[in-house]
Amino acid sequence: MSTATTTRFGAELRAICDAGYVIEDPALLRQHQVLGVVPLTVVTPGSADETAAVMRVANEHGLNVVPAGGFTAQNMGRKPVQVDVLLSTSRLRDVEHYDAADLTIGVGAGWTVANLAAKVAADNLYFPGDPALPERATVGGLLATGFCGPHRHGYGGLRDYCIGVRFVTGGGRKAKGGGRVVKNVAGYDMMKLLIGSYGTLGFITSASFKLFPAPRQTRTFIAEFSGAAEAVQFRNHVLRSPLDPICLELVSPDARQLLHGFGSDGPWLVLLRAAGSDTVLARYRAELGPAVARELDGIEEQEAWRALSNFSHTVEKRCPQSLLLSLQLPLREVGPILQQLATVAGPLRLKHAVVGRFGVGHLLAALWQPTGSTVPAKAFTDALSGLRHRLPIDASLAVLDCPSEGRADIAWVATPTHVESMRVVKKVLDPNDILNHGRFLF
Amino acid sequence: MNPAVVEQLRKIAGRDAVLDRPEDLMLYEYDAGIRKSAPGAVVFPRTTEQVSQIMRLASAAQVPVVARGAGTGLSGGSISKEGGIVVAFSRMKRILEIDVENQRAVVQPGVVNLQLSEHVSHLGLYFAPDPSSQKACTIGGNVAENSGGPHTLMYGVTVNHVTGLEVVMPSGEVVNFGGKAAESYGYDLTGFFVGSEGTIGITTAITVKLLRKPEKVATLLGIFETVDEAAQTVSAITAAGITPAALEMLDGWTLRTIEAYCHAGYPLDAGAVLLIELDGLRESVEEQAEAVQAVCLQQKAREVRRAKTEEERALLWKGRKTAFGALGRVSPSYYTQDGVVPRSKIPATLAHIGEVSKKYDLIIGNIFHAGDGNLHPLILFDIRFPDQLERALAASKDILEYCIAVGGSITGEHGVGMEKRDLMPVLFTEEDLDVMASLRSAFNSENLLNPDKLLPTPRMCREISGAARNPVLVQEGM
Repeated sequence: MSTATTTRFGAELRAICDAGYVIEDPALLRQHQVLGVVPLTVVTPGSADETAAVMRVANEHGLNVVPAGGFTAQNMGRKPVQVDVLLSTSRLRDVEHYDAADLTIGVGAGWTVANLAAKVAADNLYFPGDPALPERATVGGLLATGFCGPHRHGYGGLRDYCIGVRFVTGGGRKAKGGGRVVKNVAGYDMMKLLIGSYGTLGFITSASFKLFPAPRQTRTFIAEFSGAAEAVQFRNHVLRSPLDPICLELVSPDARQLLHGFGSDGPWLVLLRAAGSDTVLARYRAELGPAVARELDGIEEQEAWRALSNFSHTVEKRCPQSLLLSLQLPLREVGPILQQLATVAGPLRLKHAVVGRFGVGHLLAALWQPTGSTVPAKAFTDALSGLRHRLPIDASLAVLDCPSEGRADIAWVATPTHVESMRVVKKVLDPNDILNHGRFLF
Repeated sequence: MNPAVVEQLRKIAGRDAVLDRPEDLMLYEYDAGIRKSAPGAVVFPRTTEQVSQIMRLASAAQVPVVARGAGTGLSGGSISKEGGIVVAFSRMKRILEIDVENQRAVVQPGVVNLQLSEHVSHLGLYFAPDPSSQKACTIGGNVAENSGGPHTLMYGVTVNHVTGLEVVMPSGEVVNFGGKAAESYGYDLTGFFVGSEGTIGITTAITVKLLRKPEKVATLLGIFETVDEAAQTVSAITAAGITPAALEMLDGWTLRTIEAYCHAGYPLDAGAVLLIELDGLRESVEEQAEAVQAVCLQQKAREVRRAKTEEERALLWKGRKTAFGALGRVSPSYYTQDGVVPRSKIPATLAHIGEVSKKYDLIIGNIFHAGDGNLHPLILFDIRFPDQLERALAASKDILEYCIAVGGSITGEHGVGMEKRDLMPVLFTEEDLDVMASLRSAFNSENLLNPDKLLPTPRMCREISGAARNPVLVQEGM
């Protein structure tokens, strides 16, 4: 694209947002790279109206738009051919509504998850979203990636507690779904379409959430197992018991090596986090029995859960050349998939680590090359295709990151959902395919 | 209806699987709400393939189609457009699979809600959504309307319990969304489909979550002198950090009407009662029951009773769940609304409903899911007197507009259907509705699937502000 064209739409963008919110300075642009691609402009709209106007300009000029929040999950997807407009949520920081007595809050998409959590914590309320790097991860990004961390086990996923969303479609229309109340079936459930759509359907400007009473006391029980099968057996025991933990997390031996505070070596771990009074915690102790090796509380407990939430980030940092997968599985398939991972990784001389809320069938798996060895890039693509071929019925997979060499050839998402129907939705909401063009499914 | 279409339907589903005589069709012209519209034919498919063929036929013949479960809906969702085809699911009522290890069941749409829970009870499992009509309503209908029930306060509505769907699209194509995993990558079309009120496709197999039955259940009845004190207590309970499994409120008039009908043991002289249920781990339930009792008494409850036996508990719930039957004894017709308000606005909203009752000179009972702010004002009237119907509709509109004004919604669990579509433009902007309409058109391009539901027609969009009468009823000559 020529410089002249850039200037032309740059002027139109500056007419919408204040000039200070349209960056075209090459030095500044270089700080906003998406997978090494420097955007032509970075635009930070201050409202949904401005966003819609920017989107209309983008449609007129056929510009590629990449929505961005805290840049904690931009490693997913194919490298964009060109980023004409990097559209940032960082000025969307209003509180649309908040009354602690209603146990709901509505905030702009640019709020960080940590700030949102801190705001409601002041009223003894709890926001259960627990992505990696919550100080940087934004509400908009959390929804767009549909990311869930360890507390997914007890509080459900975003699809369960996001009660309203406002967004601008790729076509430049302002839209909303849901509202401010916890129970609402008026109109189509647009939240469901936006959550996990990776910014391919619309640019989220604000969202409302159901909140929960903050637990007064929690405790984490850690059990150790010599193998994955035993850990899964323990999970089944917990799921069949009357216990109702808020987290139930699997940590593989190699994941312990990657994470801080989990010991550098040792067997499989299951961490169970419970909330309740001393009497309730005593009941957990009695039900879990001798499987529990130790307990965590206080700061130590908080740090362990923060480390687990941060797993994907830790992998990216410590093993830059790694394949990071997210798997959604029927419960029965967790055990077999753990075996498949070992089967696939072993012959390719890749190490692999797994964590996940395996009580709801969600796993994160990282495959990387051991220090000192050089594994050809093809090993990763082979591992992925091996795994995809062995993926059980009803399971789905998303690649969260992969070594740069394999990026162009990877199928990022495998899903049981009818792909042509997804394409229908894409066509309606982003008719000119300007949002995250070619990066994920389409 | 064109006899050739009826003949085709018989070829597809069998000679005994189609109704087209007026006296038979009369049974399918209404639901549990107040609208009526006669279909041209009713067909009872047995297989997904038959549903697919029916869709193809409807498309070729340009006849509207609506799916119907038990017809217990309250918003007209399962009522056909005049002369359309009703696809009734009373012969697709098999539980296809119980998968204990994955905590899932796969059911046909005609399976009755409560039957699924009864079927898996011996395994210690149940299906959580529990509409008051659960003895009759079908899971297919629950999916279409995204139905709730008292226990949605803790467990969520239908969409929170559906992980996979087999859907017949208007073209006749059979597609799958999601599966047995709790979530699936790609666009969440399962979640989008639930609550789409039959306007996107017709589901023929539904994968739902089965939950483990709680170890302990405690059911309390908080008795209050006034509606306001009971309403204030709702917020006080959540402020105390307690999320009950269910938190229902009945006002004095309603509970007396119910008591006369089913002798549930409700106090006849109370201003209002709260029916509060706690479930979960034994120790936790005991602590919460004590805490709830303390909060109620602090909030001036006259008395808090706790069901001592399963029979007492069942009786308290029987009163709640048979309320609508009880009303039939005192009024020839009633109109149930489904507005939602933020929890903190419940006291003011109930006060407003009291004023509406006076203004339109109609008795309005209140029995509702207080914990999540989902109101069910029951407006009593006599349909034989057109002015009463008109006043009931006006009162209803007044209440729903108030709900919207305080930050709420027009429906929490009954769906928009025919009856509330003209209020959609108060809740959503034209652009919001335009986006929804374009999604509908993309999947249902000829608008043959449940037309005139959920979204206002453009004509209604323009007329809403001045419309004193409901256009649907005007059309029907009511």
